Amino acid sequence: MSDIIKEEELVKELKEKFGAVIENASITRKTRVWIDVNSDKALEVMRFLKTKGYYHLSTITGFDEGEKLGAIYHITDHKTLVNIKLRTSKTNPVLKSVLEVYPVATSYERELEDLFGIKIEGLPEGRNYPLPEGFPKGVHPLRKEVKLEELNKMLDEKCAKEE
Amino acid sequence: MSKIQIPLGPQHPALKEPENFMLVLDGEQIVDATVNLGYNHRGVEKAAENRNYIQDIYLIERICGICSHSHVSCYINAVEEIAKAEVPQRAKAIRTLVAELERVHSHLLWLGVAAFELGYDTLFMYTWRDREQVLDCLEMISGNRVHYGINTIGGVRRDITKEQAEEILKKIKFLHERTSYYVGVVTEEPTFLARTQNVGKLPKDVALELNAVGPTARASGVDIDVRRDEPYFIYDQLDFKVITHNTEDVFGRAVVRVLETIESYKMIEQILKNLPEGPISVKVPWKIGPGEAVFRYEAPRGEDIHYVKANGTEYPERVKVRAPTLANFQSIPYCLKNGYLADAIITIAAIDPCMSCTDRAVVYDYKTGKKEVFDWEGLRKYSIEFYKKKGVSFK
Amino acid sequence: MDTIMPLLYIAVFPGFVFLGAYATLIQWIDRKVTAVMQNRVGPPIYQPIADFIKLISKEVVIPDNADEILFKSIPYIALASIITTIFMIPVWGTPMVSFEGDIVVIVYLLTIPTVTFFLAGWSSTSPYSTIGSMRVMTQLFGYEVPLFLSFAGCAIIAQSWSVYKISEYFTQNPLMILVNIPGFIVALLASQGKLERVPFDTPHAKNEIVGGQFTEYSGRLLGIFLLAIDIEMVVLAALINAVFLGGLHNISGFFGFAIFIIKTLVVCLILTLFKVLMARVRVDQMVKFSWKYLVPVAVIQILIDLYIRLKF
Repeated sequence: MSDIIKEEELVKELKEKFGAVIENASITRKTRVWIDVNSDKALEVMRFLKTKGYYHLSTITGFDEGEKLGAIYHITDHKTLVNIKLRTSKTNPVLKSVLEVYPVATSYERELEDLFGIKIEGLPEGRNYPLPEGFPKGVHPLRKEVKLEELNKMLDEKCAKEE
Repeated sequence: MSKIQIPLGPQHPALKEPENFMLVLDGEQIVDATVNLGYNHRGVEKAAENRNYIQDIYLIERICGICSHSHVSCYINAVEEIAKAEVPQRAKAIRTLVAELERVHSHLLWLGVAAFELGYDTLFMYTWRDREQVLDCLEMISGNRVHYGINTIGGVRRDITKEQAEEILKKIKFLHERTSYYVGVVTEEPTFLARTQNVGKLPKDVALELNAVGPTARASGVDIDVRRDEPYFIYDQLDFKVITHNTEDVFGRAVVRVLETIESYKMIEQILKNLPEGPISVKVPWKIGPGEAVFRYEAPRGEDIHYVKANGTEYPERVKVRAPTLANFQSIPYCLKNGYLADAIITIAAIDPCMSCTDRAVVYDYKTGKKEVFDWEGLRKYSIEFYKKKGVSFK
Repeated sequence: MDTIMPLLYIAVFPGFVFLGAYATLIQWIDRKVTAVMQNRVGPPIYQPIADFIKLISKEVVIPDNADEILFKSIPYIALASIITTIFMIPVWGTPMVSFEGDIVVIVYLLTIPTVTFFLAGWSSTSPYSTIGSMRVMTQLFGYEVPLFLSFAGCAIIAQSWSVYKISEYFTQNPLMILVNIPGFIVALLASQGKLERVPFDTPHAKNEIVGGQFTEYSGRLLGIFLLAIDIEMVVLAALINAVFLGGLHNISGFFGFAIFIIKTLVVCLILTLFKVLMARVRVDQMVKFSWKYLVPVAVIQILIDLYIRLKF
C-alpha cells in the first residue's frame, strides 16, 4: 500500500521516540491512525504531535469497555487523523487534563466527567456540562451499567418529587 | 460608571436556541464574557446505543434542523466503513447533491439571520424568500424540506429523475443570480460594512489555537476544508475553490459564506450534468462489526466528526457526535471581549449556531377527532384561504 | 364659546383625536410600505388601532424596584409634550399659537419625550432598560444639534424664528426651498434618529437589549408610549414640512389641509425608505456620523443661507 506512507512514517517515528508507551498502533485506512497510549505518558505524546503540526483536537470520545473506562483523543493536522486511546480503571477512573497542550479541551473533558464519571486532573472547577444542574450525583449516563429504562424511571421519579 | 452584568439568554430574542452568555459590561464595552451551554442536551448518544443502525439514522438526523444531512452522512460513512460496504457512485453523487443543496440553504439562512441581527430586515426577508427555492428542490428530491431522510446504510433511498434534475438546474440558475446580488449587498452596503468590519476579530493564530472550524476559521485565513483535505463522496471529482478571507472579522465570515454558496451552485451543476448511472444502494447486513471508525465531514458550519464503535450486533456500542458549533463556541469569548454590546449578537451569530424549522403541520380537529395532515401546497392554500376570510388578500 | 373652542382644539382638532388617528394611519402606511418593499403582505389597515386597543386592555406590571409615580406618569408627559407642539405648526390655516421664537419652543418640547424615554429606562432599573436609556441619551447628543442647526438655516434665510412666518416666506419665495435641500436631508436623517428608527434604533434594538428603555413597560403605559412615538413622527413630518417646504402655501381651509396631508405623507415615505434600505448602526457610529457629516453639512447650510441673506 503506497498511499499510506505518511501514516506509516508517523507510527514509526512515534515508536522510535516513545517505545513501549505506544501500543497496538494500526492504520485502518488512509488518513486514519489508531494508537493506544499508556495514560501516564499521553501528554508527552500529544506535545510531540503538536510540534509535528497536529494542532487540532477535534474531540474527545469517552468509552466504556466493561472493566475499563477510557477516552479517545481525535487529533488532526487536517490531513491525517490520529486517534489516541487512553484507558483507566473503572473503580478509580482518573485521567490527566490535556488543557496545557490543547486549551480547547475544556468542554470535551467536562463531558467525560459528567457522562462517564472520569475524574480529570487539572480541569478547573465549573458548571455542569452537558448535564443539567439538578442531575442526580454519581449517575453517569453513558456508562454501560446505566440502563436506559432505569435512567428514565429515575428521572421521572425525580421530576414527580420536585412537583 | 460601575460594571453591569447582562445575561444574554437562555431566553433572548436574538438567540434561536437556548444558550447563555454572561456579559460583563463597562458602559457599552464588553470586558468579560462566559459561555454556558448544555440547555439542549437530549441524550442522543445514549439513545443511539439503544437503537439499531437504521433507527439511528433517523435519530441522528434530528440532532440538528439545518444540517440534518451532514450528521447522517457523517454517521453513515462511519458505519459503512466498519461494514466495508461499497456504496455505488450514483448514490454518492446524490448524497453530494443533497449535501451541497443543504449548504446553500444553510448559508442563505445564515445571511438572513445575520441581517436580522443587524436590524437589516429587508435583506433578511429577501434571503429567506429565495431560500424557499432551494427548500423546494430538497423537497422534490427527498419529499421533505428539512429532515430529508435520503440516506440509508449502503446508499440512498430515492433516485433523481431527469425532469427533477432540469428543474433543480433552473432553480439554481435563478438562485445564482440572486446570490450574486447579495454578494454586492454584503460587500458594498455602507451600514452593513460599518457593522461587520473589524467586529469580532479572530486573528489567524488564535483561530488555530482555539481550533475554529468551517467558515469561521476560513474567514481568519485558515485554509481548511474537509471536502478538499480528506475527500469523501465524489468531492475529489468536482472542481471547486476553498474560499478563504483575510479580514478575520464578521465581514470576512459573511463574504466566505456568500462566496461558498456560489461555489456550491457550481458544484451542483457539475453533479447534475455528470450524474453517474447505476444502482442507488447496496444491501448491508443488519449486524455490523466488530470495529470502529471515525469520520470527518464538512457541514455548512464546519468540521463535523462522528465516532462509531460496532460490536457485531445490530446495535452500535458507542456513537459520539461533535457538531461544528461546539468547536466554534471556544472562540466566542475571545471574539466578544473588548467589543461592544451592540456587536455581541452579530459576533455570536457569525459562527452560525444551529436552529430548527419545520414544514408539515398536523392539525387535530377537536370536534370530529380527525387528524388531517397537510402537505406544503395544501398548507399554503389553507393559509391563503384563512387570511382571505379575514380580509387580507394575496396577489 | 371662548372656552369651548380651545378645548375642542386641544381634544379634537388638531389635537389629540386627529393626531392619534393620523398617527395610526401613518404607522399603517409605514408598515405596509415596508412590507411591500420586503416582499411581504403586511398588516390590514386596522392593525395599529387593534394593537393599541390590545395594549390598553392589558394588565400593567410595575417592577418592584421602580419609582411607581415616576414610572406611571412618564408616558403621559411624553404624550402631552408632543401634542402641545402641534398648536404651533400650521395644519389648517394659521396655527393656533404663533409668536417670534416658537420654533425654539417646539424643539424644546420635542426634546422632552427623549428625556422621558431616558427616565423610563432609568426608573425601570432592569439592566436592559438601563443600557437602553444610556443609549437614548448618547443618541440625543448625536441628532439634536444637526436637527436644530438645519432649522436655524431656514430661520436665518426667512429672517424669522416663527414657524408660520418661515413657511410664509418659502411660499412667497419658492426657489429658496432649493437652497435648503442639504439642510432638508440633514433634518430627515436627524429625525430618523429622534424617532429611533432603523438605522438609528439602537436604544431599543430588540436583538441586543430586548425592549431597550421600554423593556419593563406593559399594557396601557406601553400603549401610550407607542402612541406618543407615532404622533412624534407626524409632528416631525409637519414641522419639516412647515420649515423646509413652505407649509400649506398660505391656503386656508380644506385644500390647505389636503396639502398638509400629502406633504407629510411624502416626508413619512422618505423616512420609511431610509428604514427599509439600511441596517442598524452602533450608537457610537451614529454619534460619529452625526458630528462628522450631519453637523458640518448643517453649518455649511447656515453659511450659504447667511451669504444669500446678505447678498440679495
